[in-house]
Formats: sequence, structure tokens, C-alpha cells
Amino acid sequence: MASHSHSLNYVGCNFLRQRLVLSTLSGRPVKIRKIRAKDDNPGLRDFEANFIRLIDKITNGSRIEINQTGTTLYYQPGLLCGGSLEHDCSPSRSIGYYLESLLCLAPFMKQSLRIVLRGVTNDQVDPSVDVLKATALPLLKIFGIDGEELELKITRRGMPPKGGGEVVFVCPVKKAVKPVQFTDPGKIKRIRGVAYSVRVSPQIANRIVDSARSILNKFLPDIYIYTDHMKGTSSGKSPGFGLSLVAETTNGAFLSAELVSNPQGEGVAVLPEDLGTDCAKLLLEEIYRGGCVDSTNQSLVLLLMTLGQQDVSKVLLGTLSPYRIEFLRHLRSYFQVMFKIEMKPSDEERKGGEKVLMTCVGTGFSNLSKTIK
Amino acid sequence: WKEDLTQKAAEAFLRQQQSAPSLRKLIYGTVAEDEEDEGKAGGELGGLFRVSRPDKESKRKADALDCSKFPVEAPKDWDLDEVMDSIRDCFVTGNWEADKDA
Repeated sequence: MASHSHSLNYVGCNFLRQRLVLSTLSGRPVKIRKIRAKDDNPGLRDFEANFIRLIDKITNGSRIEINQTGTTLYYQPGLLCGGSLEHDCSPSRSIGYYLESLLCLAPFMKQSLRIVLRGVTNDQVDPSVDVLKATALPLLKIFGIDGEELELKITRRGMPPKGGGEVVFVCPVKKAVKPVQFTDPGKIKRIRGVAYSVRVSPQIANRIVDSARSILNKFLPDIYIYTDHMKGTSSGKSPGFGLSLVAETTNGAFLSAELVSNPQGEGVAVLPEDLGTDCAKLLLEEIYRGGCVDSTNQSLVLLLMTLGQQDVSKVLLGTLSPYRIEFLRHLRSYFQVMFKIEMKPSDEERKGGEKVLMTCVGTGFSNLSKTIK
Repeated sequence: WKEDLTQKAAEAFLRQQQSAPSLRKLIYGTVAEDEEDEGKAGGELGGLFRVSRPDKESKRKADALDCSKFPVEAPKDWDLDEVMDSIRDCFVTGNWEADKDA
């Protein structure tokens, strides 16, 4: 890896994960200054420090320097080594926060990654483990990252603020990523979902299911929402409930939406019926945005397109979020890849909003650290 | 008419590039523009004082929450029939294009 190349400089704590992930994959060191410099409580937060520890854990030979106040971070990436690991995530962010980055890195390890993550499985801020399981794993498969080992299992559910959940993530390593042409999402053939409740009445999950179905049945008969009530030690330390919905299309695209109840002691109590209908409406919004990949996984798909073999990849996306636009800029500074971006106005009236066709030529990234057996 | 086909194609391509609102320009910007903006922000007053006008928007963005979710800003009223009709054909139960079979 080109460790002698000069480092990239950024300001502020936003996009910390994508900066570190891209730095690890491209081998370019990164320096981030003025992290919450004007804040009353300056520097890195506990969840960010925790994330850096996780990066340190999965790599070998990384150099991380943080100044005394925590406002400046220098990161020189090492090699991704993977293996069998455990990590206690900070309860201030959910496991999804950490898992999103692991999904980007895991296929490019030396040994296949098997990691046990502990913390909050579902919260209101980050994509939950349920959604990532239902949408990100099929996406990895499209890019040729599959095999029997690819697995994401929730062994314990943990709600904020105390957490106590546990997740096992296993991912095989690949030498290279296939380029893909995925421009037609097809039509939605079924909707699946999980309504979960922990440390509250199991009846709540049924109430969520009924109200969500009442909205979605106007569009489609094939709807099944599982109820998942975890008891005893597998229910974590805090009470809560929620719903995640996934719409699957005929061509294998997955669109998702989710909602979680307010954490114990914060905000007003949420009625399960309202949560169900609101979540169903969020799914309809996501379908309106459309595309072949749902909005949570746009960065993963853009990254895998960039890292593909030297061939053209095309993917149709829904509206680009500001976070993704920043990700595109980062991809350009780390990998010198620019996407061709074409607006596809909705010509037919009843197929949702505008779509964006993203095209790029892969960089021909190959996993040098993978051992050949 | 065959003679300047390539030139015609090139012209057509350029026309198309100019007419479409360039998302690419929006995302990647151009280096020249960026420099110009910076020049304006750090303008000097009377050659002596520097105008210190921190860009609120970019400050907030730099230290904002690092979250990949894309929240819906203006939720539509999905109880209305017209709104529901806007995505009707995304489902297998909707109308199919003529060239495709269920």
C-alpha cells in the first residue's frame, strides 16, 4: 500500500466513519482537525473513540494519533486482518453504526471476519441490525460476495439506553468484486417485516402488525410481518418495541423502512398502532424514492461499484441523500473515481419520484492481503 | 449525410449535457469555482481588517451527526388516493409495461 503518499486533511467530526473506512481501503493516511473545536465539550465522543478502537482491532499495524483534547485525529491505515473477534459497542450509538462500516471492510480482510458485537441493536438514529440484515446482505451477494458463511444473526436484542443486545456477523473474503449492471428494480412482489418487543407485553407486536398491514394491504396482498418477542436474558436491559419493513422486488432489490419506540424515560409514550401506520407510510415514501438500492445502502453500493474490476458498473438509485453526495466527493479524493450521474425523470406517472442512474468504471481493486489456499 | 456523423453526434451530446441540470457539477463542483468562493469569504476590509464571517452552514455540517439514514423531510399524505396512485405501478399489482410479462 502507498503509505508514503501524503495524507488527506479534513475538518470536523461529520463523516468520520466514511473517512476512516476509505482511508483503510485506499491505504491513504487521513488527518482530521477541529473535531467539535467550538463545542463546550470538545473532541471525540465515546462512540467515536469506540469506533476507532474497532478499526484498530480489525487492522494490523495501524497508527492512530489523537491529541490531548481529542480534537485532532491522525490515522495511518494498516492491513485488514480480520479473524475471530469480539467488540463491545458504545451504547450511545446502535450496532448499526459500527456494522455499516464493517460491511464495507469485511470482504477485503486477510481472513474471513467473524465478529460478535454487543450493544444496542435497534435505535432511532442508525439503521437497525434487522434492516441491514434484510437489505445489505442481498446487496453484497449481487457483487459476488456470498457463500454459506455470509451471515448476520441477532442473538440478543438490546434497546436504548442500556443496550445489552448481541449480534454475530460473519463475512467471507473475496479477492475482487464483480461489476454489476442493475438498472431495473422490477416491481415489488412482497413485503416482509419484523415487529419486535422486548420487556413489554408481547401483545404490542401484534398491534403493530395489524396497523401496518391495514395500510400496506391497499397495495399488495403478499405481506407477512413476523412478531419477535424475546424473553429473559436475550431481551437486553431496556424495554422497547419497534417495526422494520422490507419490500422485495421481482429483480431482487430491497427497500426498507423502520421505526422504534422512544427510549425509556425520554419523550412521550408511542402507541403501537401509530408506530405501525407511521412505519408503513415511511416504507411508501421509500418506495416513492425508489431505485434498485434503498437509501440506507447507497454508500455501500457506490463503494462496491468503485472497488469493482475494471469494467463499467451501472446502478439506478433513488434520490441521493446529502450524506451520499459527500461520500461521492470522498470517493473522488481517495480513489480518483468520478461517477457519471444521469437524472431519469419519471416518465410514467405512477412509478414514484425521479431516479438517478450512476455509472462508473471500477478501479480494479484487489484484496492483496487475502491468503491463497 | 453520412459525412459528419461523428461531429453531429458530438454536438448532440454536448447539447444534451448543457440542457440537463448538471447533477455532476452540483456534486463535484469545479475547482475554479471553489477557489473563487474562498477568495470572497476571506475578503479584506480596507486592506487592514479581515472580515471574519464564519460560514454557519458549513460549520454545522462539519460537526453534524455522522448518520447514514436519509430522513423524509416533507412526508406526503398517504391517505389520499392521488398520492397513493403515484406509486401504484411500483407493485406487481399495478400496470405492467407492454414488453414485460407477469
